[in-house]
Amino acid sequence: MGNLIKAEFRKTTSTGLWWGLMIPTVLMALGWALLTGAIFTSVTDFMSSSEAEDLTEFLGVDPSQWQMALFGMARSINVATLFPMIFGGLAIANEINRKTITTTFLTAPNRVSALAAKMIVYIVWGAIFGIAIVASVSIGVVITSDTSALPDATGWLALAGVGILSSILMTMFGVGVGALMTSVVGTTVVLLLYMLLVENGIQIVLASQGLPEIIGFLPNGAVNGLTGSVASSLFLANAGVVPDDLVDGLRAVAGALGAFDWWLSGLIFLVWTALFFLGGWAATQRKDIT
Amino acid sequence: MHDGTGRIVVQNLTKQFGPVAAVQNLSFTVEPGSVTGFLGPNGAGKTTTLRMLLGLVTPTAGIGLINGRPFNQLGNPARVVGAVLEAQGFHPKRTARNHLLVYAAAIGVPDSRADQVLQLVGLGAAGDRKAGGYSLGMKQRLALATALLGDPQILVLDEPANGLDPEGIAWLRTFLQSYARSGRTVLISSHLLAEVEQTVDQVVIISRGQTMYYGPLDNLRDQQQARVLVQPSDTGALVAALREDGINAIEQLPDGRIAVSGVEAKQIADVALKAGVSIYGIQEEKADLERLFFQLTSGQYAAPVGYKQQGYEQPGYQQPGYQQQPGYQTPSQPFQQQPFQQQPYQQQPPPPGYQQPYQQPPQGYQPPPPGYQQPPQDNPYGQQHGQGGLGGGA
Repeated sequence: MGNLIKAEFRKTTSTGLWWGLMIPTVLMALGWALLTGAIFTSVTDFMSSSEAEDLTEFLGVDPSQWQMALFGMARSINVATLFPMIFGGLAIANEINRKTITTTFLTAPNRVSALAAKMIVYIVWGAIFGIAIVASVSIGVVITSDTSALPDATGWLALAGVGILSSILMTMFGVGVGALMTSVVGTTVVLLLYMLLVENGIQIVLASQGLPEIIGFLPNGAVNGLTGSVASSLFLANAGVVPDDLVDGLRAVAGALGAFDWWLSGLIFLVWTALFFLGGWAATQRKDIT
Repeated sequence: MHDGTGRIVVQNLTKQFGPVAAVQNLSFTVEPGSVTGFLGPNGAGKTTTLRMLLGLVTPTAGIGLINGRPFNQLGNPARVVGAVLEAQGFHPKRTARNHLLVYAAAIGVPDSRADQVLQLVGLGAAGDRKAGGYSLGMKQRLALATALLGDPQILVLDEPANGLDPEGIAWLRTFLQSYARSGRTVLISSHLLAEVEQTVDQVVIISRGQTMYYGPLDNLRDQQQARVLVQPSDTGALVAALREDGINAIEQLPDGRIAVSGVEAKQIADVALKAGVSIYGIQEEKADLERLFFQLTSGQYAAPVGYKQQGYEQPGYQQPGYQQQPGYQTPSQPFQQQPFQQQPYQQQPPPPGYQQPYQQPPQGYQPPPPGYQQPPQDNPYGQQHGQGGLGGGA
């Protein structure tokens, strides 16, 4: 098994794909963090200004304690994990497309071990991408946010943890979809289209129909809930008084509208990931390699 | 674990792709120490059979065993069997050396093995080039290098000569023969007998997903008969004269010539001279293995029978006193330009006992007629037909 894992690692490092996707991952994470950091800083500045004093007094809130950077981090992590998802999506699709899967199966004791080795390697790659994302996001947020808006060490660790976890799950989700689709272009297009357009459309419809709780069950809603829920919980825990009416709005800002607690969101996305991953595994296990 | 014999056993393998029966009840054995040719026309089921043997395709029925075990029970299979398959790919952006390093790791051999096999197949200088820039022949060599990584006991090659230049083919031939001579097993598929004729000792010939022949190539060679094609001034007179000499294996060809089996050109020329018949052309035709292979495997995509028959029955071809020999038939396939003596077994599915290992000659095969002399075969592969030379005097 160690041999197969080593082989799978060599496979991923001997082509340019990993850094070809790592560069946009870092840029996207950094860019979004800078942008959201700047936006939330200006919101906080406005809320803290004398013009907004009446409003904040009326609401009974203290904006100087708001760790607005949390929302920026959650959003940025969500966006950047699209790349590890594609990286995972190409894991099996590329092998089938390039027909290297033949040699892979000829040099492994059986398909179970070949695919298990691949799974382990892509979990590690998901974590590597996750660490890169969390690091880039943290740097970006630190640059553009006020110190008071940044989370404390515990909050940062919690968000970093779920960030890496969601990157791993997104990677595995991609692996599963790729194994089912077996087409490089098809996998990339379907994954991006679904995550960026299709599900957002569904979410808008559900929200407008007054059914936001269903969003938390959808793949993107669940994975967003993972980071978004942690961000909004951390925010609410430190923000002092927040009117109930504002909570939903804050969750929407964090990208966790309709999402459940972070662990429940994580479980729901894990189920989605398992569904596609095991489906893809089963398909590859039985596939006639011709 | 496997038994280490180096034997490949295919038992009643069947593969159904939807309505298409790619392989039907195929059985054969490949023994170590020899190069076995796995022959059949395109679409005969060769690739599917090899992929079933290698665990890449799941058989509908039957089993393929390597060293007494199915592929997925071999433990570390690449140490037992190495394969060069047609649709075996390389990542175009990965260098050849990195490709080999990936699979060296999977097999568990040291990294230095990658350079060894690169040298072995003559790609030592091109190891750091990306596989996408390789020519077809270089890709074949890289595929062979990959197959050799685990120093396997058995080599399975699917159409390995594709894309190789003549030099590469000659090299491959020598390589495979020495590989087999060291007591290992080599199974090599091809749709061209001529391509592997000088490489293989044993052959398995399949057509329409079924085994048509398997056994030593020499036995197949012994089934050949040479013919002499003669263009006489007076066909009837020559036929009559030959009959008087007890030569009955005579066949009328559609182009007006006659084909005489089992005699040498010189003898016919002598007979013609005695009978006072001029000979305008005489030509010895050694029916090569390729033709026999053709007959064994023909019919898969054959056009309807009839073209030859029409041409043959033209009035004027029937000379008085000339009768077609019962045992000689016109070929049933229109693409056979030069008729050849049909063996009875070729027209029927093989009898049950036919697929037993090395049972030669097969049942149903008729030995040559009495009086038939094996012509001298200094060059058994020689193809001396095709040109209408004036070989014999009259």
